[in-house]
Amino acid sequence: MNKRWLMLTLAGMMIATACSNGNDGNGNPPAAGVDTPDNGEKQVEKASFTIFNAAGAAKDVNTNETTIGKILEEQTGVNFRLEHLVGDINTKIGTMIASNEYPDVLIPDAAIDKILDAGAFIPLNDLIEEHGPNIQRVYGPYFNQMTAEDGNIYFLPFSNLVNEFVPDPNINQGAFWVQRRVLKEAGYPEIRKLDDYFDLLRDFRAKHSGEDLTGFVALTHDWRFFATSNPPMHLEGYPNDGNVIVDMDTHEAKVYAATDSTKRWLKALNDLNAEGMFDKASFVDNYDQYLAKLTSGKVLGFFDYGWQIGNATNALRDAAIADPSQDDYRYFPLPVTFDGQKDQYLDPPGFVKNRGIGITVSAQNPERIIQYFDNLLTDENQALVMWGIEGETYERNEEGRMYRTEEQINKIDEAFNESFGFKYYSWNWPRYGGGSTFADGNSLGPGEQPEVFQMSLTEGDKKILEEYGVQTYAEMFAAPDDRPWFPAWGIPKEQGSPQQLWETQREELTKKYFPRLVLSTPAEFEAIWTEYTTEFGKLDTEAYEQWTTEEVKKLIEQNG
Amino acid sequence: MENTPVGTSPLKTAAGKPAGFWTKLFRQRSLVYMSIPFLIWLFVFKYVPLWGWTIAFQDFKPARGLFDQQWAGLKHFEFLFQDERFLRVLRNTLAMSFINLVLGFVTAIGLALLLNEVRHIVYKRVVQTVSYLPHFISWVVAASLVQSTLSPDGTINQLLLWAGIIDKGNEILFLGIGEYFWGLFGAASVWKDVGWNTIVYLAAMTMIDPAQYEAAEIDGASRLQRIWYITLPGIKPVIIVLLIMQIGYLLEAGFEPQYLLGNGMNVDYSEVIDIFVLKYGIAQGNFSLSVAAGMFKTVVSFVLLFAANHLAKRMGEARLF
Repeated sequence: MNKRWLMLTLAGMMIATACSNGNDGNGNPPAAGVDTPDNGEKQVEKASFTIFNAAGAAKDVNTNETTIGKILEEQTGVNFRLEHLVGDINTKIGTMIASNEYPDVLIPDAAIDKILDAGAFIPLNDLIEEHGPNIQRVYGPYFNQMTAEDGNIYFLPFSNLVNEFVPDPNINQGAFWVQRRVLKEAGYPEIRKLDDYFDLLRDFRAKHSGEDLTGFVALTHDWRFFATSNPPMHLEGYPNDGNVIVDMDTHEAKVYAATDSTKRWLKALNDLNAEGMFDKASFVDNYDQYLAKLTSGKVLGFFDYGWQIGNATNALRDAAIADPSQDDYRYFPLPVTFDGQKDQYLDPPGFVKNRGIGITVSAQNPERIIQYFDNLLTDENQALVMWGIEGETYERNEEGRMYRTEEQINKIDEAFNESFGFKYYSWNWPRYGGGSTFADGNSLGPGEQPEVFQMSLTEGDKKILEEYGVQTYAEMFAAPDDRPWFPAWGIPKEQGSPQQLWETQREELTKKYFPRLVLSTPAEFEAIWTEYTTEFGKLDTEAYEQWTTEEVKKLIEQNG
Repeated sequence: MENTPVGTSPLKTAAGKPAGFWTKLFRQRSLVYMSIPFLIWLFVFKYVPLWGWTIAFQDFKPARGLFDQQWAGLKHFEFLFQDERFLRVLRNTLAMSFINLVLGFVTAIGLALLLNEVRHIVYKRVVQTVSYLPHFISWVVAASLVQSTLSPDGTINQLLLWAGIIDKGNEILFLGIGEYFWGLFGAASVWKDVGWNTIVYLAAMTMIDPAQYEAAEIDGASRLQRIWYITLPGIKPVIIVLLIMQIGYLLEAGFEPQYLLGNGMNVDYSEVIDIFVLKYGIAQGNFSLSVAAGMFKTVVSFVLLFAANHLAKRMGEARLF
């Protein structure tokens, strides 16, 4: 008898353990739990929400653990638990969609089409109407661009310009980069043409043949392949519109992946490779190996976007601060085009419509979230999230100009960014877009404020800028022309649409043929190029161009 | 009847008559109770998800409810089998799986035999441990090791240069040549897993009665003969069971090594079914297509497993079930 009971109890316990996993999840208090504050004077109830950020990589924290987040919590009573993406974005977002369980607030980055397709964002129109005077002020001019086809606004983008535009003095966008010692040895020549640029690298490498130098590397890893497929567009004198060049007069969008400009670019690389100037491993290296090469000091030149090489250039800068002779190994951006025509490397002020932050169907108290967003969009709070606290992280002179002392600049390192909250607040929230200014003329970002930029220059920086007779790196480049559609890659594409399919096929084809074209012997080049263009001809490029042209024209009408 | 074994009850059946199924079930009810949780587990995690296969026959959209989905019939399967890319991916999967199977078996059994013959215990242990260490390295790390070894300034090219087989400036871009990929993959997998795979064979070898070896030695059998006539037949059942299980996994050529070592230049040879599912199914939001591909994989594996098991049964060998 006893034995039987023992068996039954055992079996029962097993069932209990087997099922307990499922119960735990439901037992938790709701994420948007609201509790009354212990402090009776404040009217606001405290509320805590969750955010998933697919765009950034940082430690997961609660906003109220940072200085900025704490101040904002005092103003609104709201704090957020931040979770960042680890691993593959599509898998993570796909899982959320499949389970239909979302964080309260979601920054889906490149997976935004999937989120919209799945109906995961709630419409914000009424909430903005009721609780968002600042949202209306800041985003008002862009409402028609933010409105989806069904008449609703589902998310708030990040690149809405407020007040005057100030250009970024640093080069965060595309450029042909060259090691400073190459320029130094050549006597700081003016380089505007692709051929001159490559000749410069050739000469230097020939003179230093014993040093085992690499002339030119390219970044091709995974989705970053565009760093190798985009240059023809820039070399023709256009900014980064993605897959197309948009004509300034007719506004026709043309795909350039199989045109003469791409051929010319690949042929130039093919020649470099034949001379042993090109790093063959470019086509098999991953992103980390690429960055490691840039910091090795052995690479003379490359094309890339500034925001993509930050890890390498920062490391080189730190090394040069510790030992000024290392300044030779840092890179300098050059505005190179095919024939020295006017370059358009600097981004015109543009509005990216397919990135943003939205409130999901899982959120309990969306009005509290929207109030928090609205509160962020005051001049004072934008200064708080970008500049910090006056007297601590920035100063103001008698004319009201904001600046940072050397001490403050040195204080703000990565660890400080995290504890103060700059790391979490400077991007990916409802905000004034990059390049915006405050009503008093100060620029939104300290990096764009000339006073701060000058202060952050090293001796080496000052020397090379002086040699070229410019104050900032951006001055090396031509001013951006007005392009109301910019950037064309930011035009949202529907999930599973022909445009999206075309882009996948285009990427696949170029990834397959570009390496062959570059690494083949010069004699084979023509034959492979013909094979490539034949394959490319099978894609419905015309429909893609037509669709893009129509979208571009719509944008010109909206913004014109 | 004081010491009734667990599972038997004092209930008697008529002497001589074999107990019926139900009687036996009732007698062993405590065992049945204990297995219930596992049955529930199996049902919930292995059978309920099969419901998801319906996705393959729909134009599935996550936002729509179950009954609003549009049925698409066999559309996704048709697309799959007409897609040149899928057929190529299938070829790669089978080829790499086969290479892995053959190389994996031959090298593991070979190494196990060699280790078994080693008399020096310390040496044996050290070799064994060193050989299965790579198994514990994640593929992410292993792939970077492979990549740097094979890079133009990597070890292999340095060796070739030194041996005068290639000239400076003509270093071979191993991972950039599609035709090499299967071989490289096979070699990398062997390096990583050979030691680990020997464990089970070594264990099987310890089960062989030493008296057999002694008898053979007295009869004048050489060392090779002893391996051939005693060791190998002794571990044959293990080899066959493992082979059957491996055949069931023939469409699982792995995912990580191909994903991590693959690039635009070797894509024609490196893409396997799992990468296809990820790239064209999940990353593109085409869930139906990925489920269809996954379903195909399961069905083929199932058929292969049964076929191999049946064959083993016919040949009178050990089998899985």
